[in-house]
Amino acid sequence: MTIPTPEERQFWEDNGYLVLEQAMVGKDLLRLQEAFHRAAADCKEEWLQGIARGTRPAAHFDIPNPFEHDDVFIDLIDHPSWYPYLLDFADGELILLGPQVRTLPAQPISYVGWHPDVPQTNPLHMKVQIYVEDVPADGGAFAFVPGSHKPDAGDCPKPRPLDAMPGHIVLPGKAGDAILFNSYGWHTSMVNATSLARKSIILIYERWTEGRVAPDRYAAIEDRMTTTARRKLFGLEPCQSS
Amino acid sequence: MPVVLIDAHAHVFAKVSGEFPRQVTDTTPADREATAEQLLERMAATGVEKANLIQIGGQGVEHHRYLLRCLRTYPEHFRGIGLIADHQHPEEQMDRLAGDGGIIGFRLFDIGGPRDPLAPMDVRTFETYPVWRHAAEKDYVIWLYPQAAENHCVPFMLQAFPEMTVVYNHLAFCPGDGTFGRDEAGRAQIDLPIPPQTRYNTMGLHQYPNVCVMLSGQYAFSKEAYPYKDLSQWHGNLLRTFQADHLMWGTDSPWIVQDPGYDELVRVIDAQLPESKAQDRALIMGGTAQARLFSR
Repeated sequence: MTIPTPEERQFWEDNGYLVLEQAMVGKDLLRLQEAFHRAAADCKEEWLQGIARGTRPAAHFDIPNPFEHDDVFIDLIDHPSWYPYLLDFADGELILLGPQVRTLPAQPISYVGWHPDVPQTNPLHMKVQIYVEDVPADGGAFAFVPGSHKPDAGDCPKPRPLDAMPGHIVLPGKAGDAILFNSYGWHTSMVNATSLARKSIILIYERWTEGRVAPDRYAAIEDRMTTTARRKLFGLEPCQSS
Repeated sequence: MPVVLIDAHAHVFAKVSGEFPRQVTDTTPADREATAEQLLERMAATGVEKANLIQIGGQGVEHHRYLLRCLRTYPEHFRGIGLIADHQHPEEQMDRLAGDGGIIGFRLFDIGGPRDPLAPMDVRTFETYPVWRHAAEKDYVIWLYPQAAENHCVPFMLQAFPEMTVVYNHLAFCPGDGTFGRDEAGRAQIDLPIPPQTRYNTMGLHQYPNVCVMLSGQYAFSKEAYPYKDLSQWHGNLLRTFQADHLMWGTDSPWIVQDPGYDELVRVIDAQLPESKAQDRALIMGGTAQARLFSR
């Protein structure tokens, strides 16, 4: 079977997102969960100190430099469950912009409103959100407006509350589910009204353009860039051979 | 329609005396005064009709004597915000201070909730919960200037009291540990990123109907001289998110009287929001304060 299938590609083009149920399972998922929890425990005190100083947000807890914590985070970047899709959507010219290994505390409000990440003038910009643990609809689930990634979508409305956005869908999921989305599209994190923090990882990619990524950006993990494809993905080598 | 200018955040205090006791600090020594009459003179010279006076000099009832006198003497010009000595048992003091009608709300610098955002959140255990509960019962305003360490607790309070009128002070910046300093004139200088990291727990509060933000204190957070242009984008963000009918302008007088001057502060919103609509600026410069503070 080709990835994506013609049906998946059409759905992506029409709607701007794809849900990959159980993209990570079994030992693969368990390894990720353990690394996530370990890194979060290691970094939490520094986060709390940053909040108190006013230099870190309290609304979400991102692990700094996650690639340096565990190779599992590096292996996510070209994970076979979603990497072929991204590569296809970017016509083979794909770079990583960065990961967000994120814990989202329960809060009566969302930390972010409806928004696109980039304007249509930006090169194709895509994200993968991986649920590390189950995320119910009221647990800070990802939400998206299908079709809003298209050039004629217009300006993103700013409805209040978030669930007043016309045409939106909320995407709860199980641990190991992944959501690919076109970042031109309008999206948000819904309110986490549960008593539990949401744990997810957001991977950010873009179609390669010259000069977009500094070659020394991932110098600290260069020894793990063991294939040409990975070196291109991490911006250590240009995607184009010319 | 004429624009009514209202300075929604100013301080007055008298020299320390038996009649007007107060605590002293480096910036408010015993022999310093910033009187209501001085403020009224500056207001008159700049076309400002009314002001909301924020208590300074102590939390005890006796420390409020000068503020109460000003409110009684000039009821057509002033409203006031008081302080509370005992957050666990605040009811009597709140009602006593608000008894004459001049004091319309109370200022909080703390929430008293968990500093860990991942901790269980039960607002009934927050130290200031009795203040919020009583304010909700009596329709008092909460004048809020929380620490960064516990700003994430505020949304939980608003979830419990969604109709509460809450006014975030000073551009919704929340001072952090170790960020407080003084400039050459002894004024507060608070070294925080622009925009503030606490915005992720603050901007979403626009969904509550009575959460407002005070556009004041620019001198303390800007890294530049007047007109503090490095804060312009943040002013714009606040306007887009909260809308003008939830924004108020204040001078933080007397701290700005020498630098840059009261008259300059009257023009600071024009400088910060040069492309805003005239009707929005009219709301910010007085319309919102009239509706939410003076017409209560």
